[in-house]
Amino acid sequence: MELEEAKEKIKKTITWCPGCGNFGILRAFEKAASKMEKVVVSSGIGCHGKISDYLILPSCHVIHGRVPPFLTGIKLANPDLTVVGFVGDGDALNEGIEHLVHAAKRNSDITIFLHNNGVFGLTTGQITATSPKGFRSKSTPKGNPEEPLNPIALMLVSGATFVARGYAGKVEHLSNIMYEAMKHKGFSFVEILQPCVSFNNTWKFYRKVVYEVDGARDFEEALKLSYQTNKIPIGVFYKVEKESYEEVLLNL
Amino acid sequence: MQFQKSAKINYLKLTHNMDFCIAISGAAGDGVRRGGLLVAKLLSSLGYNTFVYQEYQSLIRGGHNASVIRFSDRKIHSHRYYYDLFVCLEDYVLDLHKDRIKGLIIHDSKFECSNGNTIPIPMTEFIKEEHKPIIYRNAIVLGVLCRLLGIRFEVLEELFRKEYDDAESDILLAEEGYDYVKEIEPILKVEKIGDAKEVYSGNDAIAIGMMRAGLRNYYAYPMTPASSILHFLAKQEDVIAVQPESEIAAIMMALGSAFAGKRAAVATSGGGFALMTESISLAAMAEIPVLVVEAQRSSPSTGMATYTAQQDLDFVIHPAHGEFPLILASPITVEDAFSMTAELLNLAWKYQTPAILLTDKHLSESYESIDGLNGSVTEEKIEVVERCEGIFKRYEVTNTGISKIAFPPNIVKANSNEHDEFGFTTDNPQIATEMYAKRMRKEVAIKEDIQKREPYKVFNHGKDCIITWGSTFGAVKDVAEELGYKLIAMRYLRPLIVPEIKGRVIVVECNYSGLLANKIENKLSREVERINRWDGRPFTPEELRERLRGD
Ligand SMILES: Cc1ncc(C[n+]2csc(CCOP(=O)(O)OP(=O)(O)O)c2C)c(N)n1
Ligand code: SF4
Ligand SMILES: [Mg+2]
Repeated sequence: MELEEAKEKIKKTITWCPGCGNFGILRAFEKAASKMEKVVVSSGIGCHGKISDYLILPSCHVIHGRVPPFLTGIKLANPDLTVVGFVGDGDALNEGIEHLVHAAKRNSDITIFLHNNGVFGLTTGQITATSPKGFRSKSTPKGNPEEPLNPIALMLVSGATFVARGYAGKVEHLSNIMYEAMKHKGFSFVEILQPCVSFNNTWKFYRKVVYEVDGARDFEEALKLSYQTNKIPIGVFYKVEKESYEEVLLNL
Repeated sequence: MQFQKSAKINYLKLTHNMDFCIAISGAAGDGVRRGGLLVAKLLSSLGYNTFVYQEYQSLIRGGHNASVIRFSDRKIHSHRYYYDLFVCLEDYVLDLHKDRIKGLIIHDSKFECSNGNTIPIPMTEFIKEEHKPIIYRNAIVLGVLCRLLGIRFEVLEELFRKEYDDAESDILLAEEGYDYVKEIEPILKVEKIGDAKEVYSGNDAIAIGMMRAGLRNYYAYPMTPASSILHFLAKQEDVIAVQPESEIAAIMMALGSAFAGKRAAVATSGGGFALMTESISLAAMAEIPVLVVEAQRSSPSTGMATYTAQQDLDFVIHPAHGEFPLILASPITVEDAFSMTAELLNLAWKYQTPAILLTDKHLSESYESIDGLNGSVTEEKIEVVERCEGIFKRYEVTNTGISKIAFPPNIVKANSNEHDEFGFTTDNPQIATEMYAKRMRKEVAIKEDIQKREPYKVFNHGKDCIITWGSTFGAVKDVAEELGYKLIAMRYLRPLIVPEIKGRVIVVECNYSGLLANKIENKLSREVERINRWDGRPFTPEELRERLRGD
């Protein structure tokens, strides 16, 4: 299929709700990826996962929660590729959390973009690991009884060597972070604050509390920053140079 | 035919010149398994055929381990019920074996042994004098056996030098053992009868078969009895062998590697296989080739983790949600494990769908002597589109159902969702109809292909017929001919291709309900007889003969 034809086809088939934060993520990524070579992507199951269909790049839309090991398998087979995964908060922090932790721990040279909308979007808004306590959803009519998980802190303590947060409403800023994440050698993790207009509309909230922070900091400071909730920092939290898993295994 | 231990199992007299069975038993940590393997290597170096059954418990120290080594001048694929010679390393294991001992007992003189014909050897004393750990008793045992079997000591010495970088202590202790029984007349005269053979376990053969068919990436989460495939491949230079966080991660990594163009495989046992099933369905949908080895052990659940079984056939034959083409086969001997594994990896790539090698503990962890794993199998290369413009038509609808394949960085779009020819997600009913049918059509091509290969092997003539699958073949092979049965060893289980059979049919398998028997009945549209056991122990020829005669 010619690329122009593919672009037309994609334009017609996008099924995200109008106003969804995923559009900003798609735009930011397209821009970042245009500066990269040999990019291959994979995505999990959920609204976020549809992004595989919307990109003119090699892709594999896999199953719920299993993106990180699929990416590591690609990287081990062909280390020349830039290997990128799009995962959901339900997808990566509920169903497949062990893979995320281990991919970070082994510093696999892959990049993970977490579409964090605080809900299972595609299955109509049930709670995920990042939904706030008390959050009312179809599965928690009396409010979420659990505390949310802190993805940035989790990735820091798991051993990720690039940890950042972006916001779907700040496309330029997000795009730069995405580019930096893909350029980074080793495991890169970017949490993306993604409003879901249908089940968790956080546009107004984020517009008020999100602020940019510059540059990376040391581990303790990064961890501390990740617990800041009155205002929500976006930017690169932590970055360190280390031998990647694939370098060790493949003697690169 | 229910399993009941017959009151008396007759000693199986075989007409061959040489057919001898030795058992070594002791505690875990005594190195019994290694000892058994070395005895097999010693005999194989003289050109004999050996079969080694390893029985052990799921513990690291203490308990009961046994290594049963049978050797013969003709090809054998099973151990025997009775031992012509028994080596006893701990007093408490004797009770477990005493009914099976038909000849000499060699034991450590640190304990008394009053059972018939015994030769006490001061093994513990010898190793204490040399300040060696308990495991070195094996060297003494090897020395004693060498003498009693009438093998020249130099043959053993050479073996030790080949096996260990520093073999001096082993040789010294073996010599002490050898000399200690020098006054006793050897019970056999085992001389060189041919070229040296190599000794491989089923899992060694599986690993080598994978490599022969071009394996590049291997992923496995340890689980008995599949783990030694990982141990073997981890030592190879040209395979990337990885132990990830779970079986799910293992198969997803394999799929990632295959999507990127490298041949990949995984292995596990029933429990781990259960975790892989969702990804198997993904492999079928996205048409990503993968070889999955399922080494069965006693079940359900954790079962008896170190004991054999053939209880997973129904599970593995339809391993995941949805309908999709799947190739499933079960090797019958160590050598067969080698060629079948290579063949399955090739077929997975040819048909771009999952292939499963269903083996069992008895085949995976038993050893056989082999002239060398040189069979004619090689990597059957498939056509790959090296460069493409635009978006690749990865799922082109074809008559055979097989589409051309390309790999990233070409724009190849694979998908777990139903998709169009370019891999874009769709719920269009027409496209779904065609795409589903395209995948399913591969089954037709696969069946034709398998038919031309070897869906089963036939042995002997006879009106009545015994059918086996997996390792069960080995013990049946020994008695089928004597009792006048034809023997059909099934190799491919999906597609299951069964020849026409006129007479009685008896299906022998290690499970309760006769899982293969059910399928054979279905194919033949008539009832078959069944011989089953589900105690975790493999059949022996002696036991089978009693059961085959008992009806
Ligand atoms: C194994 C499995 N369990 C459940 C589902 C159903 N399912 C589809 S999407 C989804 C939740 C997705 O949530 P998230 O990852 O946050 O993605 P979002 O839709 O919010 O982008 C679930 C549970 C599935 N597809 N597979
Ligand atoms: S349900 Fe939410 S996440 Fe899914 S497309 Fe709609 S707005 Fe986006
Ligand atoms: Mg979500």
